[in-house]
Amino acid sequence: MPWKPPKRAGATVLIWAGYSLAERDRRWKAVREKAVRAGFDCVFVPLGNGIDGRYLTQLRCSSMVLPCDDQKPIIIADRSSHNDWVPDPWQTSREWAEPMTEALLEAGMERARIGVAGLKGGKYTHVRLPAGVVNHTAFAEVMRRLPHATFEDATDVVGAVRYVKSDEEISYLGRAAEIAEAGIDEVIKQARPQLDAAVLYAAVMERMLELRSEYTPLALSIDPIGTAEPRRYTNPPIGRRLEKGALLTDEVNAIWGAQIAQESQPVLLGSIPDSWKPVIEAQRELFEAALGLMKPGASFGALVDFVGGFGRKRGMAGSSLLHGCGYGDDGPLLAPHSEGQPVRDLCMEQGNAFVWRPVVTSGDGRISFSWGASVIVTERGGERLSKRSHGMVSIV
Amino acid sequence: MESAAEMSWRGYSLAERDWRWQRVREHGAQAGLDCVFVPLCIDGKNLHLSLEQARGTRSDCRFLTQMENAAVIFPTDGRPPIVISDEEKGNGWVTEVRPLDGSWGKAMAEALIEARMERGCIGVSGLRRGKMTHGRAIAGVVNHASYAEVLQRLPNATFEDATDVMGFARAIKTEEQIACLRRGAQIAAAGIEKMAEVARPGVEEGILYARVMRRMLELGSEYYPMALYTGPMGSGRLPRFEDPAIDRRLQPMYRITNEVDAVWGGLIAQELQPILLGPIPNEWKPVIELQRDLYEAGLERMKPGTPFSEFMDFINGFGEKRGMKSLMLMHGRGYGDDGPLFTPQDRGERNREVRIERGNVFIWKPIAMSADEEIQFSWGGCVLVAEKGGEPLVRRTPGMVSIV
Repeated sequence: MPWKPPKRAGATVLIWAGYSLAERDRRWKAVREKAVRAGFDCVFVPLGNGIDGRYLTQLRCSSMVLPCDDQKPIIIADRSSHNDWVPDPWQTSREWAEPMTEALLEAGMERARIGVAGLKGGKYTHVRLPAGVVNHTAFAEVMRRLPHATFEDATDVVGAVRYVKSDEEISYLGRAAEIAEAGIDEVIKQARPQLDAAVLYAAVMERMLELRSEYTPLALSIDPIGTAEPRRYTNPPIGRRLEKGALLTDEVNAIWGAQIAQESQPVLLGSIPDSWKPVIEAQRELFEAALGLMKPGASFGALVDFVGGFGRKRGMAGSSLLHGCGYGDDGPLLAPHSEGQPVRDLCMEQGNAFVWRPVVTSGDGRISFSWGASVIVTERGGERLSKRSHGMVSIV
Repeated sequence: MESAAEMSWRGYSLAERDWRWQRVREHGAQAGLDCVFVPLCIDGKNLHLSLEQARGTRSDCRFLTQMENAAVIFPTDGRPPIVISDEEKGNGWVTEVRPLDGSWGKAMAEALIEARMERGCIGVSGLRRGKMTHGRAIAGVVNHASYAEVLQRLPNATFEDATDVMGFARAIKTEEQIACLRRGAQIAAAGIEKMAEVARPGVEEGILYARVMRRMLELGSEYYPMALYTGPMGSGRLPRFEDPAIDRRLQPMYRITNEVDAVWGGLIAQELQPILLGPIPNEWKPVIELQRDLYEAGLERMKPGTPFSEFMDFINGFGEKRGMKSLMLMHGRGYGDDGPLFTPQDRGERNREVRIERGNVFIWKPIAMSADEEIQFSWGGCVLVAEKGGEPLVRRTPGMVSIV
């Protein structure tokens, strides 16, 4: 091996790496098959694409060359890390360009067509990052050292595999959804007028951490009901106490098995105004009705159109708010401002997992309500991973 | 300590903004640059070499704009910066934000052209690791696809690395920044107090982790993962956890070491406190004592103008006089991945000529070792460089906490 490992390395960071070897083989095989269909000689996960790296190696920080033939993949890791999936990766310290180059050369890719995961944003993954996630200086050096190879975006090659969850992944997502629900229970238990908002934030995070969720931020807003654009906090609010009449909206995320689930539960510190009740009821109906559409083969365009039409029939406005569940930045992304134009023709598949929280707005535009949960696409339609009742929680 | 709800701090002043901008302008002009360019950088979840490095990926934009993700074009001739962001609104510092319109590369290139940089000498921060910032990221932190588009659209401009232009500007802390770091250090110390209160044999390590994080969050720290190392005394290098550990319980004679970080005003403070669930073995006592003396001696020598070469040689040679060993472990404190970096992994040879300056803030946690290196001990916290030497931002007592 031409790459020499470093003499010194930082402390090994132990992370959860509990997927089976069968799961590893499934993922690698599926990526290889899609890469072959796309005409690539290998898939390259470079420095910067940490999420795809973790998906394919279970390592905290890695780079990977996955040849499309029967060659073994070459994986680069740091801090002496390794696991059951990758018992003997190439080790590096802080230098990545050199071992990545050597790995591609070792795999015989001097003149190959190399598919680079994360070079751009994709349909299924890295959906919020149109410029992708690849580190410039390291990647530019790799390209300089392999002048006869071609490098093309392969984000959707890996993304399409991440898009469909195995039973193993779905079971972990289910546990993540349970933890997120426990976080919501803590919101409901703690939230009272005059409570320091940072204390609420801390208590909810503590509850999910003690259930062993990896860290992912809680998003919270605490402004009075009816506030047009409530401030969104992803860290503890400073200088704020909860007030009577505050509407707490949240995105409670939890991670288990590296999978991020999300649950969303509005909580009102007061009685629910009558004017809100029909909007809440319409959102419940919309949420449930759309689950019926979430079957393999259904297009996202059809879902968006259904949601829009549903609102209009009731003299309200309905809009889709949906994104994938998974290792992070999963798609497709349907947001009220974009309505998913780039993915209208994309179809759902059995084993997709989404955060589904449609928004219903009253005809005069003054009341907006969203409630949401993590769902799985099955033959029977969308099935929730959590068990909470729909609606707004009122704390009087 | 005041609760988060009682805190009146709402962000840095406009005077602080102007000080930072002026400093970057001056450093850029001295380097012969027409502008300093902070391009789109990779997010910390995807570029995650370490906690510090991950937090530091977008630290230059936070330093200049108080925004989480932005690209900044900063002409050195006094014109105001152009800020591009995917955030819809600006803030008290940056009222006008240029939208993306779908492409970071296009938006950044057009802004550079508007700033008349078609043939300019453009200093790019974050392209490579620097002495004072991005020290853990040898290949820098810049996003490839968008930066490549900028290069392609400005073929007659010169692009050069300006990580140290920004880095040296960030290295000196103002009174406002020091106040934030002090509050952060106090919160981290409160986290350590909670750890000492909860850590007992039989306690699940995940519960310990959750309790400490809660304490710091309720005091208003941003979430910054605590690094926790646990294992039997004398078992050598301990595993490191940055999330709650699963299926692990503390046991009698377990050693707990940690990096307890708290973030206030975007700045990361750190305090470190080893804990032993049992009596301290006699063979550890001289090493712990050496470390305390090393820590204090280092504070005395941490004076403005001192080159790190002199400081490092003193620290690394300190243990030898007692028949033991010592090693420098310190780095800057700030928005993330602050330098200069001196660790067992990065011995800091490339930083020897850097001088300590008044207003630097470091995490100072030197390592003392027995002669055979079997016993290694580090304790430390944030220190501010003042005229007379290093001053801890929060007063704690060096040593190991023994819980019997």
